[in-house]
Amino acid sequence: MKYELVSGFETHVELATATKIFCGCTTAFGGSPNTHCCPVCTGQPGALPVLNRRVVEFGIRAGLALNCKINTVTHLDRKNYCYPDLPKAYQISQYDKPLCEHGWVELESGKRIGITRIHIEEDAGKLVHERGVTYIDYNRGGVPLIEIVSEPDISSPEEAREYVEKLQLIMRYIGVSDCKMQEGSMRCDVNISLRVHGSDELGTRTEIKNMNSLSFIERAMEYEYSRQAEILDAGKKVEQCTMRFDEHTGETYVMRTKEDAQDYRYFPEPDILTVVIPESKVKAISDSLPELPLAKLRRYITELGVNEHNARLMYRYAKVCRFFEEAIAEGASAKHCSNLITGAVFSALATEEDKEQFSVSLSSKEFAKLVRLIDDGKINFTLAQMTLSRMLADGGNVDDYLTAADLAGVDEGELERLCAEAVANNPRAVADFKAGKEKAISALYGYIKRATQGKADIKKADEIIKKLIN
Amino acid sequence: MITTEEIKALARLAKLQFDDARCEEFSKEFEEIVAFAGEINSSVVGGTSEIREIGGREIALSDLRADEVEPSLSAEKITSNVEAENGCFTVRRVVK
Repeated sequence: MKYELVSGFETHVELATATKIFCGCTTAFGGSPNTHCCPVCTGQPGALPVLNRRVVEFGIRAGLALNCKINTVTHLDRKNYCYPDLPKAYQISQYDKPLCEHGWVELESGKRIGITRIHIEEDAGKLVHERGVTYIDYNRGGVPLIEIVSEPDISSPEEAREYVEKLQLIMRYIGVSDCKMQEGSMRCDVNISLRVHGSDELGTRTEIKNMNSLSFIERAMEYEYSRQAEILDAGKKVEQCTMRFDEHTGETYVMRTKEDAQDYRYFPEPDILTVVIPESKVKAISDSLPELPLAKLRRYITELGVNEHNARLMYRYAKVCRFFEEAIAEGASAKHCSNLITGAVFSALATEEDKEQFSVSLSSKEFAKLVRLIDDGKINFTLAQMTLSRMLADGGNVDDYLTAADLAGVDEGELERLCAEAVANNPRAVADFKAGKEKAISALYGYIKRATQGKADIKKADEIIKKLIN
Repeated sequence: MITTEEIKALARLAKLQFDDARCEEFSKEFEEIVAFAGEINSSVVGGTSEIREIGGREIALSDLRADEVEPSLSAEKITSNVEAENGCFTVRRVVK
């Protein structure tokens, strides 16, 4: 490819506070229109904003997790624009003194995507356009946001996806946002320009607004890359403009050009005092940060010996990780814990949301007890998996499901008898196995498992069967 | 000097419309307002950042509002002075 993609992201993340940024109205999602509103968040004359402490604390938390420097003296500014989603005709945001600056996000390749700044601001209301009317609901107006602005360090749609996924995971791990793109609690503006490979000069950029799905981001970037490349190949110039992505056609279209670009006329917000944050508070927040996703993934693989596939399935969900780590702390093996979690437990949790919430009727202590029985060779993995599925469905303890007979396993003489029976009753599988089809032997394992309700030690059975066949 | 072009740009941003004669008038009025602002500025050494500091305009993080929910108003009350339909504020359609 002749051109290199150069992309930077502006990501809006809704903070998981109980109340809005400048008033005590709830931030709960949904609700009938304009029922989470008061004079402050609807911009009534004379109403004054009062900054929510937790918004600043969550902003600092996000900044520290993204390796930023925290500005301990910070203030808010007015960003003026006239549109009905903003009843005051200005948004209270931050301009020249954002809360956080100069951070980075590490991708798995080791590449760092620079974070220019993170600032706090208020969300706008929701508009619905029908026939000749625009309907306005200000429930979302005043919900706190952080805007995370990246450096133009992203060079492919794949890197963009990883960057957004990493941000999403980090924000969830540190508990500042649920980052649900489908509900709009995480949205991205994507800046894209092209330059000839090897050139230092940045091309003219376009900005695609309000992307709320990872696959749309990738598709929009691919489309915009081709569109700009075509313009440059024809010897023309890319025009600076703001665009939208049409998810039905898969194309971007121009919203406004540079000529009618917004002029926000920022100035210091006179109704809110400059906030002074003690260094000790920044340190306390820093000390309270949990282990972050990438570090956790690497530790699971290298220190705990979890296979990479399982580690990747688990590390996406903070609550799953907590459950897993508690079970290990109870002395259960990481290998069997991770196999059972990504097997039977995840089968019981159908959706992403279920895994995220992880509300299971099983304590990590009882889970660890079950896993230790496998570790100690008292039951086999299949029986553990069956028991676990029943515990997840009906609740209760390990002892309610496993009898002394279960724990005794299958007597060796009985196992030998069953193996002989399996060989005699499955002549075709035996012939196939002898002819070199190694997988054919699984039919015999199945026979033994059924006959013993999963209690037999399949490793032992395998030895006996192979001896019998050969 | 505030030009009539600048007045027109500001009017466009504020979604207001004026004829040329009005813009001329505003241009003069703006001059006076800016001059007055300049007078205030000149009485404070340093400008905006110093004005910010007047009267200890700082607040400690710990003195900010606690994140506790307070009752909101009803949709009827919130929309009682505006054009509204089904609890929503309504305006003439703003997009094509």
